[in-house]
Amino acid sequence: MMPLANYLVLGAVLFVLGAIGFLTRRNLIIMFLCAELMLQGVTINLVAFARQHGNMTGQVFTLFILTVAACEAALALALILMLYRRRKSLDVSLWQDLREPGLDSSVDADAPLEEPLPESLPKLTPAGLEPDQTPEDTYV
Amino acid sequence: MTLFKDMAAFVAAYWMVLLPMALAVAALTWLLPRPRGRSIGRGAACGLAALLAGGALLFRSGRSVTPETVLFYAFAGMAILGGVFLIVQRNPARAAISFAVVVMNVGGIFLLQAAPFLMAATLIIYAGAIIVTFLFVLMLAQQTGFSNADDRSREPFLAAFAGFMLLGVLLIGLLRSYPESQTLARTIERLESTRDQASLQEIRSRLGDSTEIVRLLRHEAMRRGGSSRVIDFENAVIDLEAVLGSGQAGVEQIRLRIDEVCQAGHALIRQDEPKPLPAANTKALGLSLFSEHLFAVEMGGTLLLVATIGAIAIAGRRAEATT
Repeated sequence: MMPLANYLVLGAVLFVLGAIGFLTRRNLIIMFLCAELMLQGVTINLVAFARQHGNMTGQVFTLFILTVAACEAALALALILMLYRRRKSLDVSLWQDLREPGLDSSVDADAPLEEPLPESLPKLTPAGLEPDQTPEDTYV
Repeated sequence: MTLFKDMAAFVAAYWMVLLPMALAVAALTWLLPRPRGRSIGRGAACGLAALLAGGALLFRSGRSVTPETVLFYAFAGMAILGGVFLIVQRNPARAAISFAVVVMNVGGIFLLQAAPFLMAATLIIYAGAIIVTFLFVLMLAQQTGFSNADDRSREPFLAAFAGFMLLGVLLIGLLRSYPESQTLARTIERLESTRDQASLQEIRSRLGDSTEIVRLLRHEAMRRGGSSRVIDFENAVIDLEAVLGSGQAGVEQIRLRIDEVCQAGHALIRQDEPKPLPAANTKALGLSLFSEHLFAVEMGGTLLLVATIGAIAIAGRRAEATT
C-alpha cells in the first residue's frame, strides 16, 4: 500500500508545474492548459484523501471540480476567441494596458520578430434613417 | 551569525528536499522557451536528475515492491514529464497533446486510488472534450505555427524559483507530518520481543535506554493528534514509564504495562491504515451524489447552464456581422 504522502507529493508537483507555466507562458491557450494542470493536482489530493478516509466525499468533490472546469473551458474559449478577433494574436502581453496603474509596461529584451497588428475595434452598423428627434412631452 | 547557523542546520536537515528543488529550478530556467540562452541538453539533464532525486526521496527502503509501487512511479513519472513538456513546449498544439498525456496518467493514478468512474469521467471530459475543443481554436487562430510570443517566457528563473520554493515548503511540511510511518510499528515490535524474556534483568537489557523508547512513543502519539485512541495510548505510555522508573516493580507488572502499550499501539496503527471504500464505486458515488449532495448537484447543473448561455453570449457576436 502506497502511503498517502506520495499521492500528496504528486499533486503538489503537478500544481507547482501548472503555476510556473501560468506565470511564465504568454500564449493564452497554454496559460489555460496550465490552470487545468493545477486543477489536476488538486483532484489527485482529493481522491487520495477519499481513499484514506474510506468515504466518497473526495470523489464527489472531484466531480464538482470537473463540472467547474467544463464551465471554465467554455467561458475561456469564448473569451479567447473574442480577444483573438480583436488583436489577431494569442499573445497575452498585447493586453498589458489592462494592468494596474503605476506599473511599468513589460518590454521584450530582444526586438520582436514581427510587429503586432493594430487592435481592430468593432464598428457600429449604420442602419436605417436617422430618426427625427421630436422633443417629448413629459408629464412628470 | 545565529541566522547563518540556523540556515546551515536547516540545509543539513532537509538537503534531500532542497537538492531536487534546486535542480528543478535550474532545469526549468534552461528549458523554458526564449530566443537566446535556451539549453535543452543541460535542462533535460538537470530535470532528470531532479526527478530521480525526488523519486529517491519518496521511495523508502524496507518496503516491499508491489505492482502498485511500480504502477505509481510509472504513472507519476509520466504525469510529471507530461507537465514539464506542457510548460516548456513552444508549439501550443504539442502542449495540448502533452496535457492529454498528463490527463491519461492522472487517470491511471485514479485507478490506483479505487476511483474508476472518475478515471473514465476525467478522460472523457478533459482528453475527449476540452483538449479537442482547444485544438480546434488553436488551428483556427494559429495557422502559421508558433509565433513571437511563444518563443518567449516571462521571467523564467524567478517564476521557477518561486514555484519550487512553494513546492519545497509543501514537501518539508509533508515530511514533518508524515515521517516514516513504520516507526510506531517497529517500536511496538521491539517492545513485544522484550516482553517474552524470563527475568527482569533480561527485559531491562533488551529494552536498552527506557527513556529513549518512551520519548519515541510520546512523539508518535503527539503526531497523531488528540483522538480517544491516542489518549488511551498516551496513558498506557505514562503507566509504562512509571513502572520502568520505579525500580521495584515486578516482572508481571512490567509485562502487564508493556501489553497495554502494545494493544493501544496496534489500535493506533490500524487507525492509520486506509479504511475500505464501498466496493461498487459508481453506485456508491451516485448514492452519495444524489442523497448527501443533491443541492450541490442542482447548483452544478445551473452553473453549467449559465456558463453555456454566457459562452454563447460572448462568442456569438461575429465581427463580420457588425461591419
